[in-house]
Amino acid sequence: MSSPAAVAVEDRLFRALAVLRAVVLVNAVAVTIWRRDDFDRPGLTAAAVVAMVLWTGFATWAYDERRRRTLPLLVADLALAAGLLLLTPAVQGDDVTASLPGFWVMGALFAWAIHYRWVGGLAAGALLAAADLLRQDIDWSDYDNAFLLVLGGTVVGFMCGSLERMATEREVAERAAAVADERTRLARAVHDGVLQVLALVQRRGGDLGQLAGEQERRLRALIRAQDTLAPVAEGAVDLVAELTSLERRTGVTVSTPATPVELPAATAQELVAVAGACLDNIRAHVGEDAPAWVLLQAFPDRVELTVRDEGPGIAAGRLEEAAAQGRLGVAESIRGRITDLGGTAELTTGSFGTEWEFVVPR
Amino acid sequence: MSLRVMVVDDHPMWRDAVERDLAAAGHEVVGVAANGREALARFPAARPQVVVLDLQIPEPDGVQVTAEMVAKDPSVRVLILSASGEQADVLAAVKAGATGYLVKSASRDELLDAVRRTAEGDPVFTPGLAGLVLGEFQRISEEPEPARPETGLTERETEVLKMVAKGLSYRQIAERLVLSHRTVQNHVQNTLRKLQMHNRVELTRFAIELGLDED
Repeated sequence: MSSPAAVAVEDRLFRALAVLRAVVLVNAVAVTIWRRDDFDRPGLTAAAVVAMVLWTGFATWAYDERRRRTLPLLVADLALAAGLLLLTPAVQGDDVTASLPGFWVMGALFAWAIHYRWVGGLAAGALLAAADLLRQDIDWSDYDNAFLLVLGGTVVGFMCGSLERMATEREVAERAAAVADERTRLARAVHDGVLQVLALVQRRGGDLGQLAGEQERRLRALIRAQDTLAPVAEGAVDLVAELTSLERRTGVTVSTPATPVELPAATAQELVAVAGACLDNIRAHVGEDAPAWVLLQAFPDRVELTVRDEGPGIAAGRLEEAAAQGRLGVAESIRGRITDLGGTAELTTGSFGTEWEFVVPR
Repeated sequence: MSLRVMVVDDHPMWRDAVERDLAAAGHEVVGVAANGREALARFPAARPQVVVLDLQIPEPDGVQVTAEMVAKDPSVRVLILSASGEQADVLAAVKAGATGYLVKSASRDELLDAVRRTAEGDPVFTPGLAGLVLGEFQRISEEPEPARPETGLTERETEVLKMVAKGLSYRQIAERLVLSHRTVQNHVQNTLRKLQMHNRVELTRFAIELGLDED
């Protein structure tokens, strides 16, 4: 069963074919009148021309409605074209090579190609080619014509099939997008309701309130991460969306611009990993639920990422001590990863807390 | 100090809770509404000093309601309360004239504090909102058509806003930069004022482009 989009494509193709039929009819009639002296039997020739005119009118009407596009119609269409080709030797002298219907047979050929795709185009092309070859002594130009008929029918049929398939695929994709949009809209309403209730429960306090608060934060982070899903260029990643996922950790606030910040996937992932390492460090040294803030700023030539906590700071000498013992401390590892990205890392620490600032070129 | 407050939220349970908290703190709830239409209809008679507004309400939404209320009464202060904190919406509401933003999970005390500060004209920023505003000013500065200088941020304002985005309180910022608390507040207030001014300039420019200014 064809999809509505495919049927619509077929409708349009048949409307275009109706125009083509009119053009090739005018051409066939004009050519016949012009070389009227070639014909031995003017009466039969005139009858054939009248048949072409009438059939073109009927076919234009018949193909316009999709329920009338049945096998009998297509068979009759093709039979008339082939019949007129075979009639050619009977109406004109042997020394004339041109056929009676001429290009008019394209109407039937393309109707088959449109309706039965490449198989129809091939079959109709082969039949018309056979009829064309049968009516005369074969020379090379006849072979060329026959070859063109078979090839033309098949190629046009294949392209019609492709057009219909593309239309169907696009329709499916559009419907999927509409469904996804609607789902997002519904989810938003549901999430909003759930968030409200969780926030309310949280305000009542107690164990339940604490639990509700935790879930509320997680759900909100999840929604934020979903909302920031924007299409980005191949191989690129939206750093805003990636960083936002860090907010699922307790106590972490992520501040970013409202618009996506595109970076090469490897750079973005490394930056998120570094921010994650900083947050792990905060969890280890300041506390499990210690508040921490991540700020992303984007400039045309660079991004700046800050991770801050309000812990006791890194005690003086601790980093040097680690280095002296030949251990690669967390700080040195973080610095190294940023340097590998071609950026700089700056560490500020004191009784007010610890703050990392990374500047990485884009 | 008792304030005249209007509460706009489509969730009755939540609306009641906020109303109760405000009343308990001695404020007067002069109006409630469950959607944008009700809110705008009741706003002129209620004449609130502060509107506590949920962003996700039935049409017209929180952003439109903010814009219309501020247009009708420039002295009104709008505090946005949002459950999900959707980035684009929050930024749009602030550009439309809201001066405060709070996530609904904020505690009762945080809410009351925010209402009081909003009424005093003190912008209530979350670090997340400060990040959005910083990003917005950066975007404006990258626009091909240069922003008018008076809508750009000074270095000091950028510095203060960045600190807010990093989660520092006004008090902490004042300490670090050796400024008075009041000065820090002024800087933050200026950033919002400039953002809203730029928004108006953009809207006007847009209207002129569309030929809407001719009638």
